[in-house]
Amino acid sequence: MTVDLDAAALDPDAVDLSDREFWVRPPAERHRVFDLLRRERPFAFFEEPVIPMLEPGPGYHAVTRYADLDAISSQPSIFCSGKGAVSIIDIPADLHEFYGSLISMDDPRHAKIRRIVSKTFTPRMLERLVGSVREIVDDVLATARRTAAEGDGTIDVVADIAAPIPLRVICDLMGVPDEDRAMVLAMSNIVLSGGDPELIENRDDPLAAFLEAGMTLAGIMERLAAERLERPREDLTTALVTTEVDGERLSSQEIASFFILLLVAGNETTRNAISQGVLALSEHPEQRARWMADPSLDRTAVEEIVRWTSPITWMRRTATQDGELNGHRYREGDKFLLVYAAANRDLEVFADPHVFDLGRDPNPHVGFGAHGPHFCLGAHLARREIAVTFRALFDQLPDLEVAGEPDRLRSSFVNGLKRLPGRLTGPR
Amino acid sequence: MTRVVVDRELCVGSGSCEMLAPDVFEVDDEGVLAVLEPEPWDDDVPAVRDAVQACPTRALTLVD
Repeated sequence: MTVDLDAAALDPDAVDLSDREFWVRPPAERHRVFDLLRRERPFAFFEEPVIPMLEPGPGYHAVTRYADLDAISSQPSIFCSGKGAVSIIDIPADLHEFYGSLISMDDPRHAKIRRIVSKTFTPRMLERLVGSVREIVDDVLATARRTAAEGDGTIDVVADIAAPIPLRVICDLMGVPDEDRAMVLAMSNIVLSGGDPELIENRDDPLAAFLEAGMTLAGIMERLAAERLERPREDLTTALVTTEVDGERLSSQEIASFFILLLVAGNETTRNAISQGVLALSEHPEQRARWMADPSLDRTAVEEIVRWTSPITWMRRTATQDGELNGHRYREGDKFLLVYAAANRDLEVFADPHVFDLGRDPNPHVGFGAHGPHFCLGAHLARREIAVTFRALFDQLPDLEVAGEPDRLRSSFVNGLKRLPGRLTGPR
Repeated sequence: MTRVVVDRELCVGSGSCEMLAPDVFEVDDEGVLAVLEPEPWDDDVPAVRDAVQACPTRALTLVD
């Protein structure tokens, strides 16, 4: 892309959120564009990105103001998720089997299934998990230390720290055996690759790759589900296969798609919050020093990292009727992208929105979603993982330095890093 | 006296309220929200107001 972003920042007509190259630009540049849209075109319309072998849809509106975004999110009967929440195109029928989970479902079905799983994610259930999260983090950091010591002192913050922590936590929660975990990581990378050619071998046919990843994950789940039906254990998979909703068990398709949702949502989001949190702290050493010295900042610091990084950039809603919202007229079928990353920098809500302030309070960010029934199920788990990870990083790897430029994922949906060069300088 | 009211149709048991006001709210093992102090003490009221504000499904209201 040759568009000069400074010029684009003055000219909203030059902005195209469907251009993949936009999404690998540094965050500061993307936020300049969001600021412009929020100010001048709060419901900016874009043509849909072109996806090989699929009919292009009618386009979408990017919602960048906090108030508009929250209004849409909190009226799920008018702005539904069932046409697809995680893709701009409507979900093709053959992918729906694997990806048509809770997140792309509306009430009443959504509420019933959500209640089954929400009991596994309550603050008290997670309190019991904290010890095991701490063990996992300690083990991962010790391994990273060894990797650096045995090599030239460098590590990849993503592969050596940010990826293994949530992977192990979520796989423990679900009861996924060790031997399947590398496959789970690889497949969830494909699911959330946004078609990034590095992660999808056949770039002409990303749909085939998504389908294959879905089938592989569903296969792992089917095997696990059968094992748990025979020998129940204390894990989420057992809860999923044995619980009834209105006298009805979840179908194997529902279980598989939910499993895929959890693996993917539980892995990629927390991973990117951790890796970009490390990056943000390295860019703001005074904030790092402040948090390191004061564990009572954990609560607000974690919220600020989620606001700042907004690991999931958007979710989609679709109008189920004609109407008007804050002066914007819409028609049934209109698609809206709730751009959380943009709303999280809305000056109307956040003082100095482009300042990274680990003590920010209140911080009503929408990094876990805005008001509405689809608010992140794993928010408490993510908060725990992030808080435990950073405290352990301060204690055990205080010498961690970012040693190069991050390599960004080419995706509009996940604000991700593929690699972040790091260095352990050793005790000084 | 301030009283907490839960709309059971809206509540999805997210537990956001429990994070902010653990003395007043608890999501039980069945995923159902229990209000431990339906008429919270004055000391708890600010936290309860935060919890009402933070509820992702707007299932909580405070009645004065």
